[in-house]
This record gives sequence, structure tokens and C-alpha cells, in this order.
Amino acid sequence: MKTGNALRSLLPVLVILALIAAVPLFSPSNRFLSLAISAGTNVIALYGLSVLFGQTGILSMGHAALVGVGAYAAAILARDFGVGFWTALPVAALASAVFAMIVGIPSLRVGGHHFVIMTFAFGQLLAIVLTNGGDYTGAATGLDIAGPVTLFGADMSDLTRYYLMVVAFVTAAAVASWAIIHSSYGRTLRAIRENEKLAASLGINVGRHKIGAFVVSGVFAGISGVLLAYFLGHISPSQFSSFPSIYLALMVMIGGARLIEGPLAGGILVAFLPEVLNLDPVQSRIVYGVCLIAVIMLLPDGLIGGIVRALRVAFSGKPKQEAERDAAPSEARQ
Amino acid sequence: MSPILAISGLSKQFGGVTALAGVDLAVEEGEILGVVGPNGSGKTTLFNVVTGVHKPSGGSVSFRGRDITGLKPHAISHAGIGYTFQQAMAFAGLRVLENVQIAGEHVRVNAGANHPWPTPLALLDFVGLRALADERAGVLPFGSLRLLGLALALASQPALLLLDEPAAGLNDRETVALVGLVRQLPGHGITVCVIDHDMKLMQMLCRRLAVLDFGSKIADGPTGAVLADPKVLDVYLGGDL
Amino acid sequence: MDIFIQQILNGLSIASVITLIAIGVTLIFGLTGIINFAHGEFLMIGGIVTWLAVSAGLGFPIAVVLAILAVGLMGYILERGLFRFTLERPTNGFIVSLGLIVVLQHVVVLFWNPNQKSIPRPLTTVWEVGGVRIASVRVMVILITIAVVALSFRMITASRYGRALRASVEDRDTAALMGIPVRRYITGVFVLGSGLAGLGGALLIALFPITPFTGGTMVMKGFAVALIGGLGNIYGAVAAGLILGIVEGFSAGYGFSQWTDAYSFVLMILVLIVRPHGLFGGTSGPRMAS
Repeated sequence: MKTGNALRSLLPVLVILALIAAVPLFSPSNRFLSLAISAGTNVIALYGLSVLFGQTGILSMGHAALVGVGAYAAAILARDFGVGFWTALPVAALASAVFAMIVGIPSLRVGGHHFVIMTFAFGQLLAIVLTNGGDYTGAATGLDIAGPVTLFGADMSDLTRYYLMVVAFVTAAAVASWAIIHSSYGRTLRAIRENEKLAASLGINVGRHKIGAFVVSGVFAGISGVLLAYFLGHISPSQFSSFPSIYLALMVMIGGARLIEGPLAGGILVAFLPEVLNLDPVQSRIVYGVCLIAVIMLLPDGLIGGIVRALRVAFSGKPKQEAERDAAPSEARQ
Repeated sequence: MSPILAISGLSKQFGGVTALAGVDLAVEEGEILGVVGPNGSGKTTLFNVVTGVHKPSGGSVSFRGRDITGLKPHAISHAGIGYTFQQAMAFAGLRVLENVQIAGEHVRVNAGANHPWPTPLALLDFVGLRALADERAGVLPFGSLRLLGLALALASQPALLLLDEPAAGLNDRETVALVGLVRQLPGHGITVCVIDHDMKLMQMLCRRLAVLDFGSKIADGPTGAVLADPKVLDVYLGGDL
Repeated sequence: MDIFIQQILNGLSIASVITLIAIGVTLIFGLTGIINFAHGEFLMIGGIVTWLAVSAGLGFPIAVVLAILAVGLMGYILERGLFRFTLERPTNGFIVSLGLIVVLQHVVVLFWNPNQKSIPRPLTTVWEVGGVRIASVRVMVILITIAVVALSFRMITASRYGRALRASVEDRDTAALMGIPVRRYITGVFVLGSGLAGLGGALLIALFPITPFTGGTMVMKGFAVALIGGLGNIYGAVAAGLILGIVEGFSAGYGFSQWTDAYSFVLMILVLIVRPHGLFGGTSGPRMAS
């Protein structure tokens, strides 16, 4: 793909993010900002998940656990070593990446369908370990994380400032994920997604690259975890168990895993839909579930992919072939 | 001169079934060798063991003097052996050009300036698919898909190309086109080994044939002589010769 | 020693419920390649139906039958309405099942609140044998499971349909070529598996209170057992169910109960690493069989 074309594909996301960054000018409510911040932390993890699922075609159902590793790393670093936000960020990202590798090596060796179950099981195990971890992990109550986030001497803990910082991180995540998609590394991952046997025959070390993609997604998740921990000020095991993982997968699929707009759209939609439709949490979860099923059955590229395709049909009269089609990869054959 | 690929005493058992019973085979540099045999004779097992899909139970494979026995499929490719599968294969969801780009990005033994197809488009020209470069591989007709499979294997810059039933499913015209392409390969410095049971194809392609039966090599020599060999005739009697 | 036997009995009664899920999981996966994570919610619905029926004054045996029928019917509707469209892409089937988990749980919460639900124990007798206290309700659960599993075995080993089913699990395409109506078997297996999950739910609520979220941990155990036993392998599922039940019984009896839930996951992860096709051998699903 030519660089010009590739840059053009990034532009809509940057424009949307610029608009989102301008929101504080309209003095939004605190509730709005809080929702947006938690949506933003999710979106960062979703950009990692989109590399893993959208490009490589492997789905992690334990992704919240990787976020949790980042969050707990930040909290424990702050408590035991007095380490602040900016130092915790790379360390936690590394911790999540290492955890991803530890989970990934045996899980991907097992291969195929089982990978999903393995990630789910590891996610559950982590929640159990955190719950039984005594004082070190704060058991079921979890840990508090106190301490201001400062940037160039300015206190970022103020809701609006934290919001802007999260938007900046989301932008960085989007650009990083875009850069991966448009690199030859991204092509390699897509080759694995499309046909593992053929990829291997062309010299691609399939196992190593799959673990690599999982580790990359772990870095995104770790950063997301640190931002989440410092935003909430308190973390507990249930935030990172199986169901948050399901919601992450749901968001990336509602948005569409292969498009650069997908994670952003999925994260925002899932966070704000209940507000817009005035649903209570129970109703909104039912709506999420129905959306997920509907998207998979009817709009395999996710909502945004569906809109893009509809627009293409409307403007050019025929669906464009290279609009990437399927949400799920062709089944791995080995 | 020593052969480019030397297989010696290669054997493979699946459970109690012997698929290969100590096969010796040498592929000489610059030739197009045919490996034939009826279904179940061990052809595909031989292919799978050499390309690293299965681990051999015994014996060895060496390529340009280097022992490559039991290497993983991607490492076989890195060593300089390209291969195409019986089932025509491409990255269906990606564009044709992107397919070839990927195939050229993981080459370890680089042919450098001598590479006959310096760009993916040149390679698509060679197999006659340039006009389809922007199509999604999944929409190609079967014959074009086979050619794309060949292009992908060539893009990995192999010194030796193994083709497993390259003409299966092709009509006569497509087969002739494919034969035309494959016969050019030795001229580009690529040794070819074709595994097939289609004798018509083999006669068009190969000057030398090796015949497998029940996992053993029963004949090896110039095509004409092998086809006149009573042992070979016996194997194929009433078969698909 | 007394505690020991008691804990094994407790473990076995839970293992019974898990085995009932695992059989459904293993058959559905073996035939379709679909990992149906919502199977735990099927179980939960079975429990809820039982609770509703008993609360409405019906006897436990009738409630059990209702649970089996209701969940079986639900399985039929979901297979016809959703899962059959995902047969070519089992991963999509898996994702659909995740959506179902969320929907089913919260529909139950919406109508019947998220609190624990329990029924009076259908059997209250406790036998004392040589100092060991044996709750008859646990024995009932184990016996019903044994009977149902034995019946399933018989269906699968001795009948024409069973042979066709096993052939389909072994190799769906060849079975279809041989004239076996594989699609209908897929529907049948969904209904059978769902019915067993309904039964499991009814038996579970006879032992413990349940919540709308009970399915989550149970399905993981069911999967652990199905995987350990080898997906697609019923015998394996039963054997693995026994192993897990005994391990859990032991650990609860010796004071590691907070780790009980971890065993199935650890066991499953280890088994998958060491023997990816399970301890007793299984298929990797229809799409991977080649």
C-alpha cells in the first residue's frame, strides 16, 4: 500500500480524536468525563486486541487479565517502592507483556480453538490468585492506589486534565496500531490469520509471530491497566476476571477488529449506549449481548465496517472487494 | 557433483503403518525430477517429511550438504526449499499483490541481484497474473489460484522447488501453461522436484523419474527407461498409467 | 477417614453435575467445532426452571422433567436460530455463545433479580454409616447421573443412531458422504446436550443455592473436564469428571477450599500442554481433523 493511501486511512481517526479532545471546551459533566476516561482506557487495550484478533486472527478471552497485570503492577509499585505513574507505565507494560508471553507460549503451542479457552482459563486463574493473594494483592477487596499523576509539574489528577491525557494515550495507541497494520510485520500477521500452513511454507515462523502479537497486545493492555488504576484509585480482582474480558472482546467486535476506527467506535459505543438509551446496567448488558450476536451474524466487519461498506455501495454502486470481510479468521488448519 | 537434495534411508511410520520404508533419493542440481507412484505409495508422506510437516522416523535429508532432517516448515523455507501444496493455496482474504509481497519478505538465503524476478510485479508478470494484482486472492478462479501458489513459492527465492500435484484440477490448456512455466525454472537456477501420479504430466515435464510403491523406491532413471521397466509396469498395471 | 469419605462423596456429587455439562460440551464440540460457552447458562436456566416449578408448588421430579424439556427446547431454538449459521466458522459460534452468556444471565436477573435462589432439599434423610454422614440428596444426584450417563453410553454405543453419531464426530464430511444426515445429528446433539445441562441445573439447585451467575464457573469446569477427557470423547469426559470431583473433594476436605476453583483450570492447562488432545484422546474438531 502506498504511504499516502495509508496515511489517509489514519486521518479520520485523528480528526475524531481531535474533536474528542475539544469536548472539555463545552464544559461537560463530571459523569461524562468519567465515562469517557474509562472508555478511553478500554480503547487502548482494544487497539492491542485489534492487532491480535483483527490482524493475527487469534482471540484472547482473558484480555482483562493482561489489563489487570498492568493495574496491579502499578498499585504494587506505588505501595512497595513509591514508584509514580510515569515510571510505573513502562514497568507495568513490560509486566503485562511478560505475562502475555507466559500465557502465550503454552497456549499457542496447544493451538487452534484451544487457545481461546487457555486464555480464558489463565484469566480466571489470575483472578483466583489475586483473590487468594492475602495482603500482598489485597485479596477480594483489592488495592488502593493513591498518588497524584503529574506531568511537567502540573497535577493531572483533575478530571479534565486526566481526560485529555487519556485522549493523548488513545491517540498514541491508535497510531501505534495503525503503524503495525501498515508495516510488513502487519502483513506477516495477516498471512498467519489467512493461512498458517502456507505462511509457514514461506518462511514465517508462525508460533513465534503469534506469541509476538500476543505480547504486543499485552503492552497495550498493561498501559491501559496503569491508566485505569490511577483513574479509579482502587482496583479489585473482579474487574479483571472473565466477564470484563468478554466485554473487551465484545467491544472490539462491535467496532470491528480490522479497521483502525473499530476499537475507538466499539469502546465509545459500549460505554455510552446505556446513557444515550437511558438503560439500567442490566438492560444495557442484554443490549450488548444482543448487539454482539447481531454483529457477528449480520455485520461480520463490525458496525463501522458495515457502515463503510454501505457507504461504498451507496457511492460506487458496488461493494469493494478489498473491504476486509470476515470478523473471524478462516479456521486454522495445521 | 553432489546432489542438491540427498535423501537417504528416509522412513516414516504412523502408528503401526509404514508409509516410507527407507527411501534413498538424490535430486541433481538443475534438473526437473518426477516422483511418481500410485495413491498410498508414500509420495505425499515423502513430501511432508522433507518439508517438515512430519518428523521422519529414521533416515536423513540433506540440502546443499547441510543436514535439514526434521527442521520445522519455516526453517525448511529459510534453507532455500520452496514448496506448493496439493490443495491450491493462497491468502484468500488478501490482495494478490500483497500475497506475493508477503512471500518475499521472509527470505533468508537471498539470491541477490541474480534473482530472476526482482519485484513482486515482475513475478506476477512471469505467471501471467499481473492484471489481477489488485484482486482479492479468494475470488480468483482455480487455475489462477494454482499459478498464484507457484508465484508465492517462487517469491520465497528457493534453490529447490517441490511441487505436490501442481496440475491437479487444471484443464488441459492450463496444464500446458503450467508446464511451460515450470520448464523455464531450471534456466533461472531453480531445481524442481514434482510429485504426482499423472504420467502424462510427468512425461511432459521430467527427463528423470523415480517410482515409489508401498513406501519404497522401485525404480529411478531416465523417463523412457523407467516407463519400460517391468516392475513399474507391474505396479501400474491396470492402474492410472 | 470419615471426613475423607464424606468429602469424596461431596466431590462426586458436584462432579456429577460437571460431567453432565461436559458430555454436552464434548459432543457439541466434536460434531460442530463450536465451543459453546453458554452451556453453563443452559445449566443455570435449568436450575431457575426447577426453582420456578418448585416455588409454584410442583414436586421436584416434575420440576426436573420441566427443566430438561425447557432447556432442551431452548437448545433447539438456539441451534436452529443461531448456531446452525455458524457451522462454517466455529469461532463465530463461540463468539455468539459469549453474547448468549451475557443475554441469558441478565434476562434472568431482569425478571428474577440477581439474588441466590434455593429450593427445599428434595430428600432430607441423612444416613449415618459407621460415623460417616451421608446425605441422601447427594446419593440421589450421583445415582441419577450414573443412570443418565449409562443410558447415553448405551445410546451411543449400541444403537444405529449412536454409531452414525460417532462416525459424524470422527469425520463429519465422510459421514455426510455416507448419507448420514449430519445436520440433523447436530440439532439432535444440541438438544441432547442442552437437556443434560437442564438436568444438571436441576440437580445443582437440589444441592446448593444458585445465582444467575452460577453458569460461569460451572461451564469452565465442564470445559476443563471435556478438554482433559479429550474433546469429542464421552468416555474421557466421564473419567475426567470423576478425577476432578475427587481432587476437589480432597482439597475441600483438607482445608484448601479457597483454591478449589483453581484446580480445574490448572489441571486443564497442564493437560493441554502435555497432551493437547486430552488424556484419553479426542478430536481437535471437525475443521482441524485433516
